[in-house]
Amino acid sequence: MRRAAPLTAAVAGLALLAACSTGEPVDMGEGTGSGAEGGGQTLHVAIGGEPDQLDPNKTSSYFSFQVLENVYDTLVETDANLEMQPALAESWDISDDQLTWTFHLREGVTFHDGSEFTSEDVVYSYNRIIDEELSNAWKFTAIEDIAAPDDLTVEITLSQPTPNLLSNLGGFKGMAIVDQANVESDEITTAPVGTGPFSFEEWTSGDHITLTANPDYWGGAPEIAGVEFQFISEPSTALAALQSGEVQWTDVIPPQQVERLQGEDQIELGVAPSSDYWYLALNEANEPWDDVRARQAIAYAIDREAIIQAVSYGNAAANQLAIPEQSIWYSEYSTYSTDLDKAQELLDEAGVTGGTIDFMATTEYPETVTAAQIIASNLEPLGIDVEIRQPDFSTWLDEQNSGSFDLLMMGWLGNIDPDDFYYNQHHTDGTSNAQGYSNPEVDQLLEDARTETDQDARYDLYAEAATIIADEASYIYLYNPSVIQAWTPELAGYEVMPDRAIRFRDVQLMEG
Amino acid sequence: MSTTEDRPTAEGRVGEARLGSLRLLAASPVTVAAAVVLVVVVIVALTAQWIAPYGINDVDVSRALQGPSGAHPLGTDDLGRDILSRVMVAAGTSLQVALVSVVFAFCVGVPIGIVSGYVGGWLDTVLMRIVDVMFAFPVLLLALAIVAILQPGLATTMLAIGIVFTPIFARVARASTLSVRVEPYVQVAQTMGTPWYRIMGRHVLPNITGPLIVQTSLSLAFAILSEAALSFLGLGIQPPDPSWGGMLFAAQGFVSQAWWMSVFPGLAIFVTVLACNLLGDGLRDVLDPKQRTRIEARQR
Repeated sequence: MRRAAPLTAAVAGLALLAACSTGEPVDMGEGTGSGAEGGGQTLHVAIGGEPDQLDPNKTSSYFSFQVLENVYDTLVETDANLEMQPALAESWDISDDQLTWTFHLREGVTFHDGSEFTSEDVVYSYNRIIDEELSNAWKFTAIEDIAAPDDLTVEITLSQPTPNLLSNLGGFKGMAIVDQANVESDEITTAPVGTGPFSFEEWTSGDHITLTANPDYWGGAPEIAGVEFQFISEPSTALAALQSGEVQWTDVIPPQQVERLQGEDQIELGVAPSSDYWYLALNEANEPWDDVRARQAIAYAIDREAIIQAVSYGNAAANQLAIPEQSIWYSEYSTYSTDLDKAQELLDEAGVTGGTIDFMATTEYPETVTAAQIIASNLEPLGIDVEIRQPDFSTWLDEQNSGSFDLLMMGWLGNIDPDDFYYNQHHTDGTSNAQGYSNPEVDQLLEDARTETDQDARYDLYAEAATIIADEASYIYLYNPSVIQAWTPELAGYEVMPDRAIRFRDVQLMEG
Repeated sequence: MSTTEDRPTAEGRVGEARLGSLRLLAASPVTVAAAVVLVVVVIVALTAQWIAPYGINDVDVSRALQGPSGAHPLGTDDLGRDILSRVMVAAGTSLQVALVSVVFAFCVGVPIGIVSGYVGGWLDTVLMRIVDVMFAFPVLLLALAIVAILQPGLATTMLAIGIVFTPIFARVARASTLSVRVEPYVQVAQTMGTPWYRIMGRHVLPNITGPLIVQTSLSLAFAILSEAALSFLGLGIQPPDPSWGGMLFAAQGFVSQAWWMSVFPGLAIFVTVLACNLLGDGLRDVLDPKQRTRIEARQR
């Protein structure tokens, strides 16, 4: 199940993107707090499915995070440039040895139930994630101790320098600060209490979740009265709801609709590059895929252009590494091109003469089924028969973890720091290394990069590791998709975040 | 079943009766049309791999989502594959699944039904309760459960649909056997000491073929639909192999941009299933003695 977290959940990470940086959603900005309660209208939005639960530290569903992004806060949070900005912590100091981080908390912040937010809440929330070994506990592996010397100070002691501590703490709402009473009453799963711009109002199962503006929000009360999240999984229904004005915002938009929607006056379309990446992985526990040449042969045989065109209709950027071009971590790499002769040569060298590949796709992510069919036709000339399976996603995860596949395609969403994904996916002891890749040189590079505090040196380490990973085809990286969202012209001040965080605190609703 | 013509005592009369049935069938234009359509579908299915204009997996994204044209009479799908070719090849898959699963259901269900009806007693009770249990599940739900337990694929789809249809054949066979069992010719055979298996094979089975033939043709239609439904849910035929249901599923996201992706596989299902049903109706009219007398009276 480990993959579920980064996939559907970690979606609120950040992707270093400079393209759409018009506002500063972190600071109070223009939100003057004048339009508190009853001042504005309720915003209606359509999301693609119903949250499984509303405990931010436990859920791994993106649908939950879409709602919780507006209910909870983290110590720090991402901005549209994917840099970490103050949130519940106003500022922080780092000791010279890089092992002690002192966070100074914002004063006068209250939870939605009226109780005061203090450093104890931070200690409680983080210890809960660590002690209960929740799915994000791995982000805290370097933390030795969390202390609260006074009400407004939190001191975090580390076992080793952790340059990406801020993105670990604030990359997404999975690390949100929760209310102890709310957790202990067990109401957090259905009626969460946070410190965010909106408070939870009601949840009608199968239909909607309603949030109300928090007049006491530390960043200034939202101008709209609240947000109603409707669950609409069918894209045509969501689009019809948007066009009829029933909802004012949705992200339930398949990429093939983008071109058509661009021509519509009554719909604003937000398409922005994301930090998500999609990849192929060959199971190195199965012959002949333990042979690097056999894996490289597949990397040469596939028609990347066709795959990208078919899954994204032009709304994705081809990439042979994980990190998109907009990121400060981006490094160039373009070794592979579609070259069947080269692929055949490599297969001959590896002594592979045809055979079958068990391709595990899943209907939950239709792009995997589409790409599988293209790859099947790409590999046919090499005498390789691709058998496509499309189990449901929970079976898919089980099969991945038990290694019952030859080839799979999947994506990781909301990636922030290279450590988040390179270590987990390619280190010998990585928790998501389902393909079974192991290279001592890469292990060493990833370990060094983890604790390297000099940004330039760290960049070089990751660039080197990434090159080896792609050369040896531990993953065959394919592309970075775009975030696609649409809203009506009535909705003003909304900004598409590259990490797919959905924030409604600074929006206004104009008279329709 | 009890008309004098159907008595199998004289071979010549049986032949005559069959000829008569065919003649009656041919007299109904709807039935003839349905049969012609089915024959065409079967021919297309059998020859698809030679007469299809393109390969079913000729992916070419640059010609994706093209409307019907001279080069692609039914357009292309999201991967640039020719829909006509895929619909033609899928016909073979659909008919194969339908045929195999119905033959399976027939071969398992009919013996169960005959034994149950002929022997009666506790055996009848036990067998029919088992059949009742199978009936308690909605057809598709049971098929889904079977596919979920086994690995999705062609063979599993056939098996699942076959199992689901078995109790239907068992019921029909049993009901007919019950009425045949008390016929004088069966009782005569019994008094003459004919072994039970011979009575079932020689006297009971030939006399219950009418309802079974009708049930078979109707089941074929439902089997095609079930296969489409399973494939639509991603549990039937696995891509890249085409099936009508699978093509409909793939077309879902493109309804507003590429109507041809959904309309043509949908039409194929519609026409084939309708033809099977109409043929089944026609057969019932001819093979049901009461209906038949009425038709014959009209013709005279």
